[in-house]
Amino acid sequence: MKRKLTLLVAALATGLVMNTSAMAADAAEYEAALDKARQTLSDAESKVQLWTTSEILLEDAARAAAAGDFDLAVKLVNEASLHAELAVATAEREKKVWQKSVPK
Amino acid sequence: MKKFLIACFLFVVMANAYATPEEDRLALREFFAQRFPDLDLNEMTNGLYAFDEGAREQWLEMEDFPPYEIAIEAGEEDFNQPFANGKSYADCFENGGIGIRQNYPRFDTETGEVVTLEVAINKCRKDNGEEPLPWLTGELANISAYMSYTSRGNKMNVVIPDDPRALAAYEAGKEYYYTRRGQLEFACENCHMQSAGSLLRADTLSGMLGQATHWPVYRSKWGEIGTLHWRFQECNAQVRAKPYEAQSPVYRNLEYFLSYMSNGMELNGPASRR
Repeated sequence: MKRKLTLLVAALATGLVMNTSAMAADAAEYEAALDKARQTLSDAESKVQLWTTSEILLEDAARAAAAGDFDLAVKLVNEASLHAELAVATAEREKKVWQKSVPK
Repeated sequence: MKKFLIACFLFVVMANAYATPEEDRLALREFFAQRFPDLDLNEMTNGLYAFDEGAREQWLEMEDFPPYEIAIEAGEEDFNQPFANGKSYADCFENGGIGIRQNYPRFDTETGEVVTLEVAINKCRKDNGEEPLPWLTGELANISAYMSYTSRGNKMNVVIPDDPRALAAYEAGKEYYYTRRGQLEFACENCHMQSAGSLLRADTLSGMLGQATHWPVYRSKWGEIGTLHWRFQECNAQVRAKPYEAQSPVYRNLEYFLSYMSNGMELNGPASRR
């Protein structure tokens, strides 16, 4: 009985540790997300006009990381990437439709 | 019958894709003529003051002692100041640089690029061993203001030479004008055609016609005189699109298109705006 209880506590503790590591971002995760975001922004900017928001979000992310809030930092970095992707999507759509606005 | 229909379809597609700049210009004038049947289109060189009577009265009063006057005087002095090598701006331009603004931007068939008046001024400096000036305001804007002042009353006469690169530059500017961008997904056209004359918060929006005739401009918001590319940057930022560098190819092409659309309209720069 005692052995079963020990195993159960060990299993719960292991699960808790794994769950915590999966939830909380750290500096390494932030740096990885930042590298990816920079590449996404760079690719987007070579093709289209970025939104101003992408770079603002990266600045906000840097401040969050400096304050040790890596969860927020990663979230903001990912949002910056998303805004760059949306800028590309708008540009691709507009390529097909802008002519419709020209007076004939 | 099927072949005939295909031919008709192709004709329509080709006609739309290859409207000439002059067809574009005439269609634009027709657009505004229908939109504002009681408005003298030449009044559109005065921007929002063509639409907003109250603001126009204030502006006309301000024109008695215009805030850009200092820039004209400073610009004249700078324009006539010889370079270290003894030459001057007058040596770089046709007619000594007097009364020539209506020909800018022009397409340089040697470099294959659009040359705005500001680019030509800085090129003149560089060719004479002087440092280029900042693009947006200050001495360059003053010189540009003086050159505009000497061109008042002349009619905009931007030329697109028979060179596919010139037409491509014009088309690039046109595409830019009509393309939505930024987080707010606004095209230049959304404000200055669809909503021209309407209020955007407290501001009446100017129309596209005549938008290139009166630069540089003293904007009360800026508190100083500035060049057209400053306004481009500001417009971009307002719709949350990351602005390009002043005098970048994108903005020069945009100015080329925008100026061509004002061909035949009188120059009235420099000007003052809110």
